[in-house]
Amino acid sequence: MSIARYRIQHRTAYHYSGRIDLCHSLAHLRPREDEGQETLAHRIEVTPEPKVRAQRTDCFGNTTNYFSIEQSHDFLEVVATTTVERPDAPAVLPPSRTAWDRLGIGCQGKDATGVRLANYLLPTPAFPAFSAVADFLRPSLAPGRETMELIDEVMGRIHGEFRYVPGATDTGTPLETVMERREGVCQDFAHVMIASLRSVGIPARYVSGYLETLPPPGQKKLQGADASHAWVEAWTPATGWVGFDPTNNLHPAGRHVKLAHGRDYFDVQPLKGIFLGTGTQALLVQVDVERM
Amino acid sequence: MNGISTAPPGILDAPFPPELYAPGSSLRDEAILPDGGIAPAWSEFFESYHRHGAGVMKEWREVALRISRDRGLAYRPDRGEGPHWSIDPVPWIFSPEEWAALENGVAQLLRLYSAILADLYGPQTLLDRGVVPASLVLGHRGYLRALHDCPPGDRMIGLGLTAFDLARGPGGRAHMLNARFDCPYGFGVALENRTVVNRVLPNLFRRCQVRRIGYFFNDWFDYLAERAPALRDGERQPRIVILDSDPGNERSEIGFLANYCGITRVVPSDLTVRGAKVSLKTLSGLKPVHVIWKTTHGRDLDPLEANWRRAAEGVPGIFEALREGSVAVASHPGAEVLQSPGLFPFLAPICRELLGEELLLPPVATWWCGDPAAKRHVLDKLPHMVVKSVGHHSDFHTCYGQRLSSKERAELAARIEAQPGRFVGQEELQISTVPTSQEGGLVPRGAVLRSFSFLDSKGGPHVMPGGLGRVGTAGGFIVSTRESGESKDIWVRSHALEAPISIERRLEPSQAISPEVVPSRRGENLYWAGRYGERTDSIARFASRLVVGRTSGFSYGRAIEARHEEALVEALFHVLEAEEWLAESSLPDERLALVLAHSECPVGVGPNLDHFHRACMAAREEWSLTSILAIESAHGRWSAGTPEVFDPLYRYEPELQNLALHLAAFHGLNLDSMTRDEAWALLDAGCRIERMSLLAGLLAHLLAVEEAGPMGTLLNESVLFVSDSLGTYQSKFHSIPTTGLTLKLLLGEEDYPRSLRYLLDRLANVLQKLGAPAFNPHPTDRVASIQADLGAFLVLLDSGLAFDGSLRQAALVFLESVRQRLNELHDYLTTSYFSHAGYHG
Repeated sequence: MSIARYRIQHRTAYHYSGRIDLCHSLAHLRPREDEGQETLAHRIEVTPEPKVRAQRTDCFGNTTNYFSIEQSHDFLEVVATTTVERPDAPAVLPPSRTAWDRLGIGCQGKDATGVRLANYLLPTPAFPAFSAVADFLRPSLAPGRETMELIDEVMGRIHGEFRYVPGATDTGTPLETVMERREGVCQDFAHVMIASLRSVGIPARYVSGYLETLPPPGQKKLQGADASHAWVEAWTPATGWVGFDPTNNLHPAGRHVKLAHGRDYFDVQPLKGIFLGTGTQALLVQVDVERM
Repeated sequence: MNGISTAPPGILDAPFPPELYAPGSSLRDEAILPDGGIAPAWSEFFESYHRHGAGVMKEWREVALRISRDRGLAYRPDRGEGPHWSIDPVPWIFSPEEWAALENGVAQLLRLYSAILADLYGPQTLLDRGVVPASLVLGHRGYLRALHDCPPGDRMIGLGLTAFDLARGPGGRAHMLNARFDCPYGFGVALENRTVVNRVLPNLFRRCQVRRIGYFFNDWFDYLAERAPALRDGERQPRIVILDSDPGNERSEIGFLANYCGITRVVPSDLTVRGAKVSLKTLSGLKPVHVIWKTTHGRDLDPLEANWRRAAEGVPGIFEALREGSVAVASHPGAEVLQSPGLFPFLAPICRELLGEELLLPPVATWWCGDPAAKRHVLDKLPHMVVKSVGHHSDFHTCYGQRLSSKERAELAARIEAQPGRFVGQEELQISTVPTSQEGGLVPRGAVLRSFSFLDSKGGPHVMPGGLGRVGTAGGFIVSTRESGESKDIWVRSHALEAPISIERRLEPSQAISPEVVPSRRGENLYWAGRYGERTDSIARFASRLVVGRTSGFSYGRAIEARHEEALVEALFHVLEAEEWLAESSLPDERLALVLAHSECPVGVGPNLDHFHRACMAAREEWSLTSILAIESAHGRWSAGTPEVFDPLYRYEPELQNLALHLAAFHGLNLDSMTRDEAWALLDAGCRIERMSLLAGLLAHLLAVEEAGPMGTLLNESVLFVSDSLGTYQSKFHSIPTTGLTLKLLLGEEDYPRSLRYLLDRLANVLQKLGAPAFNPHPTDRVASIQADLGAFLVLLDSGLAFDGSLRQAALVFLESVRQRLNELHDYLTTSYFSHAGYHG
């Protein structure tokens, strides 16, 4: 089996208009090490120097890093540098061998890693009501349809019916608004798909990670041109977890590097911070995914 | 008199006259047995009631109302909105035997829920074995995944103070209606009710040998102190704080609790996490916190680790401190998940599974709609069901089937069908009634008992011998915090006399849990109490002057007096920087109404009094009971008494005098009883800064207006009046007020409490009580520079020069600069002592 090896740099910088005296942060920036993916080197550099750093594993098995900066600052930079390897085989969609309306997956089950499926079947604050996606989903719900076929169609329809518009939404935009405007970015598409699948009883989870982008033929790849990415994984008894990328309408394989997974974006936000101080902030994120 | 099974002499043996109390025939009553006889526990009560006659209820209610009002209970800062409690002086009385049965049931529930909590944040065997449906737990908004690896144990507290709502059904069996672990309401109310009812019915209380609840409180505080993490170098004793969500809400009972036990009440913004340790922001810097008794939702505690889009107020980083073990929080922040009524149908099996016992106090019959058979039952019986959310993320409010129209019922049924797992149906229990007072006598009312309890470090249950009784409204069995008005003291009788324990007792100095520190926010409120108290006082004197001008006049003639009123009103609006209000109302009557009767105008008496009251209540730990009485009297009378139309005007005169009197009493009481510490320093500084700022502003405005002749004299007289200095001026100078002499008195007079010179000296003096802020010079430096300028100006004023153009101009410049620098001092105090900005700067 062929292996893809990447060097990834994820840089986040905040410039503040005033002085910040205290900042607590939580990062999900270390790639998961399962499903054949392996991290060869990883470090997170923070400027200014944190007073406290702590690493732990969250309830989904992701690595999280807490740090607090307790000196006055007006600039904060977090750079995560990772070398990671993952299988580079083309994706194969395994059959579920069951119709979506006969799955009967209850909340009591667990996946292969022992995490309860109920986590991935229930609403979260990000989408408290599945009713937002009911109208969208209805045309695809032919009785007796094979489950993977249904999921694939949902992915294709999101790709076809929603416009990818950077800046059209932010992390606080409700799902209802995304459905109404039929536009958004990868987080929104992942949320739409997750809510759709859960609403019919298919466990679905949010995946945060990176996608290697390829420059147009003949051109050199620009620095910082990549971005964080988000896609979806769905579960059936026969298949286990299977990936779907509604933003690109494809099944993630070697070019998708997985950071973390959870119920929704808010469980695995790459970097989150709460600071004490006044003024406005300017945020800059740069991601480089380089195949080695 | 030791027993209650045989009636002591004097207790009625004849049947109780039904006209005094007649419970309904269809419901069970707590005091009257089915055969019409009086339940033994109630015999002394009815004997006393019979002896006094039905008329006594009115008297008891009035006494209770007066006592509670004097204690600041009946009034809340946000008066008129939301629930506020009032007290029914008639207690709910239990015999020792009845109570013992309830106590056993509560103790078992406590052990049971504690075991469930340990399982849910630990091995989750209940979910693995299917005893509890996983979706009830994992979908609950209070289940905190961030603490998935923090089970209760040596470092994490499990259940803290817990409340169970209990009620008896028609068969006489007690049921549990609600379980509250996250932030149970009513603990402080129970304490207050006991204090009040004990004073309304002291003899009856003694004769009934009512068990004391004070021991329970002390045990609880001992437990909290025990749970403190190991002290760090240089720390002598653990600091315990009680965390309230915000000081202005319905839970002002927290203030009473904090007062009672002498621990510091804080809100989230008072706390900060640095170095993975929790600290309290105080006037003397950051102080370590070891134990937090929280009365806020656990899910809002750490916004950094909440899966929640709305930025809730909280203490960022506190979960990291919890994991580090540097702080203990009661209850476990994830305990809210246990409150789900969805767990009710499974409690009996869980009890067998985890404790190997049968459930003694079953919950009210409940069906979880996630189970298809249970859902059918709920939908079939919908008109008799109470439908509740199981606590997932939703905006659903409890519905009472019988209150719904058939259309609403159909909508509800559709909602349940769409997401059955999110709902439970509960039997609407026909709860027993308890004698409840009304003006004219006793009536039966459905009642729920809220029982408080906790488990100590060794796992031993402690149940408060008492609690909070809540009664429903006429004809309804629905009792909720939101809807019911009246609450009751719970009397648990004893066969033996207990040693009295004073409910007002603070801990002995040797036991004091935390050294008294003043949190920054309380300091800020004290400072504002000082400022708004002084501002209200000044506005009231302005208003008096205006009212007197209208009603009796100053014998200067109509034209001058009309102009004088206009000038005075303009001065007031100018000094308080509210000129834009002036632009909107040009008629003299309208302007007067802004001052006297407007509810929002920044120069109005009412709004400033409201601010004063709010600031005082947010710092209520600082006041003596008498001071609270003065605050409440000042505020209550004005807010209740302001007529809609300010006519006839003369009615304001006694009201304004009364207000001034109460504010003066408040100042006098503080002068007489407050320790001269940092808290005092800020209250006093606020008062003096406000007085100086108003004085400088007023004088500057009048110098700028430049009136002469009778008009000038009248204005000088008014300035002296609103500065409360007219009498002093007259006895000192024996002349009509001139501008020069007025300035001399109000700026330079030595040893005169109304002069700028004296006020600056006092301010410099009182600010000495504050420690120097971490990286900034002491604020007294700033006062000293104003003092130096005043000295120079006074030399000029005393130089014998005529008070004309250039001297007037110099005075104007000086006064404006005083105001400017007082504003800067205000900002400086705020950043240095309240927000702790610049601590690392």
